Amino acid sequence: MDNSVVISTPPHVKSKRTTRGIMIDVAIALLPSVIAGCVFFGWQALLIILMSVFACVATEFVYFFIANKGFSSKCANAKSVCVRWLKQFDFTSVVTGLILALILPVTDKWYEVLYEVLIGGVFSIALVKMLFGGTGKNLVNPAAAGRVFMFLSFAITTYSAPLFGALNFEAGVFTGPTNLSWLLPSEGNPITKLPVIDLFLGTGVAGCIGETCKVAILVGFVYLAIRNVIKWWQPLLFIAVFGFTAVFLSGFDYANQGAYIYDLELFLPHVFSGGVLFGAVFMFTDYVTSPKGVFGQIVYYVIAALLVAILRYLTKIEVTSFVIILMNLFVPLIDKYVRRKPFGYKKETGKEGK
Amino acid sequence: MKAVKGKYYFGGIHPHDMKNIAKDAALEVLPEPEILAISTSQSLGRPAVPVVEAGREVKQGELIARADGPISSDVFASVSGTVIEIKDETGANGTDEKYIFIKPDGKNETSYLPPLTDTSADEIKARIKDAGIVGLGGAGFPTAVKVSPKTKVDTLVINGAECEPYLTCDHRLMLERADEIARGARYLAKALGVEKIIIGIEANKPDCIKEFEKFDDILPVILKKQYPMGGEKQLIYVTTGRKVGIGKLPADSGVVVQNVATCFAVCEAVELGKPLIERVLTVSGKAVKQPKNLWVKVGTPVQAIIDYCGGEISTPKKVIQGGPMTGTALANYDTYTHKTTSGVLLLTEKEAAADEPTPCLNCGKCADVCPMHLMPMDTAFYAAAGDFDAAAKYGQTAACIECGACEFICPAKRPLIQAIRKTKAALRNKKQER
Repeated sequence: MDNSVVISTPPHVKSKRTTRGIMIDVAIALLPSVIAGCVFFGWQALLIILMSVFACVATEFVYFFIANKGFSSKCANAKSVCVRWLKQFDFTSVVTGLILALILPVTDKWYEVLYEVLIGGVFSIALVKMLFGGTGKNLVNPAAAGRVFMFLSFAITTYSAPLFGALNFEAGVFTGPTNLSWLLPSEGNPITKLPVIDLFLGTGVAGCIGETCKVAILVGFVYLAIRNVIKWWQPLLFIAVFGFTAVFLSGFDYANQGAYIYDLELFLPHVFSGGVLFGAVFMFTDYVTSPKGVFGQIVYYVIAALLVAILRYLTKIEVTSFVIILMNLFVPLIDKYVRRKPFGYKKETGKEGK
Repeated sequence: MKAVKGKYYFGGIHPHDMKNIAKDAALEVLPEPEILAISTSQSLGRPAVPVVEAGREVKQGELIARADGPISSDVFASVSGTVIEIKDETGANGTDEKYIFIKPDGKNETSYLPPLTDTSADEIKARIKDAGIVGLGGAGFPTAVKVSPKTKVDTLVINGAECEPYLTCDHRLMLERADEIARGARYLAKALGVEKIIIGIEANKPDCIKEFEKFDDILPVILKKQYPMGGEKQLIYVTTGRKVGIGKLPADSGVVVQNVATCFAVCEAVELGKPLIERVLTVSGKAVKQPKNLWVKVGTPVQAIIDYCGGEISTPKKVIQGGPMTGTALANYDTYTHKTTSGVLLLTEKEAAADEPTPCLNCGKCADVCPMHLMPMDTAFYAAAGDFDAAAKYGQTAACIECGACEFICPAKRPLIQAIRKTKAALRNKKQER
């Protein structure tokens, strides 16, 4: 034996899972949505996705380079900083870039979206993630924050129709600001029941690149659940609470037209509309910005689902990203007060054991 | 009795158990090494006080250091020979320990206690104390204290879980010496005055479960393969359904837990009068030539054990005394076995993870797997900032059993156990200052 042995505290064996591996898993789970987006919205979608990933990774690199004084002295230093960056590169920025692009629509002026997504990517990584301390320290989901930033700055509210028409809908395509306006009627308009099959496949549905094709999202969900990256019950809990609440609220639209109906046929159209499913699988489940304990997670998903359902009903626009940010800000509070009691914990009643 | 299935508890991990390496190696007796160094710190509590001096001839089983205080234990010469010197050396865990160096003379003269003929509870208790028996599962708590609980006890749980990866010494012992273990368990039950004896064995040892089904008075419980199943509180919960409160002893819930190796030692102490001078340990890992399960005298140099097993086949990345989840990493082979040493593992670079830590992701996996339902990430966060009070408060560190499950699962490879130990040490120091 030579002096190469390592001394450390136990445990001496560890799982093979790394942060990088988990992030690559998430990126793989996003791939079906990326492919579906490209198929449905054409090469413009691919350009937006590539631009977004580039913006995020490049911003992270530049930030790291500056923060580690890559500019300060000689060439050798710059090289070593690059090597260090590669060594610590954990694919979180790739995931952020992918998610940011997938929750953007391809508009008719797609070239404008290209530079907007560049700014959005820089905002997401530089301001939301790196300034707060980088991986693991950001308060809110960078992709959601970037999306909201772009929504407010560039007013991206028009959605172009996909290349494929609807299978089962007379109009052939659901246009309009979002398909939510069909589901959540304004004054006087009756509720339109959208065909679930079109919403599920994303055919003929105007919407964001990655959010329209629900099949792809579900494939990603199954992959993440099997790989144990996310807990399988988290998105399901969210979807269940959201769906039943949304159906409950929709009943008041019926009430306006006559009697209150708890119409469960609206459950799937609600869930498959807009960005709820994508948010539930890929954005609410973000490790960094969700509670750490099991009970905290349950509280988080239930409140988030209620908020999405209520705000969606009241505002009639897509609110998932806003709710994600809002809930992210509540996480420290949840973590502080919703805690699991240690095994065997009993209130001081004087009696121990059972 | 027919084996029954144990309960499930939330938390825990499922590491690759790696027991195939040494599982089939039958127990062998390690030949006497050229020199032995027996530490006087063989249990929790204060080190024993040497009662021999250099130059003295001792027989196997002779008392060489007397217990100092209630949770200290007597130390015996594990070979017959001459005491060469008594000096302080730095042990594997970094603290100075007093070692008694004995050179064997090869005569194998023994000086055991007389075998017990009348096995009354008090006599068994006295014998357990006189034989210097400590818990052989790892912590080294004197068994004599455990069998004299202050509260009423109704169940004796024998710990045959052996949930640590790699280790197979308890497995071999249960397979080859089931009768002795059962008799030892009966002596312990008699000393405690309990009727009910349960033995918990993990499901990956079906041969051992079968072995214990043949006794009428011992109930084998098949435990799920899950780490840490052999943790005292977890074992009590899965076998009896009782929860042991935070800061409470198992006896407060009416249960006493003993390791299978301890039961075997009790049997030998009662029937042969043999004090605790040797134990079974596993030599395993992919860097060792011939993995074995050995009878090793207390105080044997690790070098002698490795040599007997054919040495290294590749350079080990880590050398571990004990199990891979809770054992101590050794800097060299220049250390000596204790009563509590359950294994010597030579892990290759592929087996022993030594990754650089990356930033915490807040993923909460450590909290999910914690068998005590704590928040290890909070402890690590506050301990890194030096705020140990907050670390203990938010991480509930006091209840931590240091099983290592959190650090095993951590995708960011954070040194969580180190942070927890630091927090515990800081709190201990603070208490002492007061």
